[in-house]
Amino acid sequence: MSDERTRFANVVLPHLGDAYALARWLARNDSDAEDIVQEACLRAFRGIAGFGNINARGWVLSIVRNTAYTWLKRHRDPKLVAVDSIEEVEPAGADAGIDWASPPASPEAALIERADTARLEAAIAELPIEFRETLVLREVEGLDYRTIAEITGVPIGTVMSRLARARRRLMVQLGKDEK
Amino acid sequence: MTGGSDDPFLLVHAYCDDELDPANALALERRMAEDPRLAAERDRIQALKRAMGRLKRAPMAPPALRAKVERAVGMRRPAVRPTWSAMAASVVLAAAISVGATWSVVTPSGNGGLVGDEVVGNHIRSLMAAQPIDVASSDQHTVKPWFNGRIPVSPRVVDLATEGFPLVGGRIDVIAQTPVPSLVYRFRKHLISLTEMQGGGAPPPERTTDGYHTIGWRAGGVTYWAVSDVDLDALQKFVKLWQAAPASEER
Repeated sequence: MSDERTRFANVVLPHLGDAYALARWLARNDSDAEDIVQEACLRAFRGIAGFGNINARGWVLSIVRNTAYTWLKRHRDPKLVAVDSIEEVEPAGADAGIDWASPPASPEAALIERADTARLEAAIAELPIEFRETLVLREVEGLDYRTIAEITGVPIGTVMSRLARARRRLMVQLGKDEK
Repeated sequence: MTGGSDDPFLLVHAYCDDELDPANALALERRMAEDPRLAAERDRIQALKRAMGRLKRAPMAPPALRAKVERAVGMRRPAVRPTWSAMAASVVLAAAISVGATWSVVTPSGNGGLVGDEVVGNHIRSLMAAQPIDVASSDQHTVKPWFNGRIPVSPRVVDLATEGFPLVGGRIDVIAQTPVPSLVYRFRKHLISLTEMQGGGAPPPERTTDGYHTIGWRAGGVTYWAVSDVDLDALQKFVKLWQAAPASEER
């Protein structure tokens, strides 16, 4: 095999499963996720010479993430919110109703914990993509805040607040469903 | 809502994600002890994290996707479906040609031979990779948790630094299309891979393939493989020490 292919086999292929998981959560559709991963892998292959030998997994996931955005804009929604602007589109706004100190309708922890898996998946799928990707990178891919910040191109503080908002929405949703 | 990064209702998320430094974590713990609303939020976040933990699957891409990707970058011809061991072997072959080494491609040989070949292939492939490990740490309390959430099993990790086999890190290998944990130890200038598989067949024999020794054994329903190019005596010593040492969670 050529050097590029050997390198690709060592750097990219070990993370194919993680790449697919992320693409599935972003696209919310298995076959689109496969297309995205395939396109991302081609990009990674072309760019393999530029990979700096640091954190292969983070590098692969950031390519998958960027490919997913381009793919979704091209095939679904040309107006897909641009990468870091959700806080402008959705200012304190959508969460203005949330009083963090005494959240309304906050379900009990036990109720959240026994939430039905399908219902939880549906609630995650409903999240705006910026919240969803942050949550998935943290809880499914197990990445730390710094790596998530690098992949999504926002400050660490924004990662933290997106996680908080994403989780708050899930909690409220799971509480609603139960009634 | 302030949303500022000093908002305790935001910080409690970072706390649950182990992202606070010890001083801030301690300060927040005090506030949570005093403020039941904060404590309730912590409980909800942890409950949600556990619920999401149940969503996790072993990180496996559909085999057809892997095949498509490999074809797309020209790693395989259409309609041929080599396995991981074949791919590892082809990497070995490429290396053998490029460095002019004399050893040949590993070949399956009897019971445990196929798995043994994959173990050796994974070890060699890791030596050729940009970095031989996915997580680099000499601290067993860093390496062990790293596997959590990536694969369903958490490996037994022991510390043999004082015996001359410091832990270097860990990585995830693929054997029979299943992700498995491998620990990497160092002995002088050599690396030793220790791969753990749930279940598995008969205890694999001690054997030597192209200068790489493997020693296999079973304990508690788990099959272990140690592989390295250190001399056989050193590898046997390593295995004895590793079997006798207390695992990290037992301390």
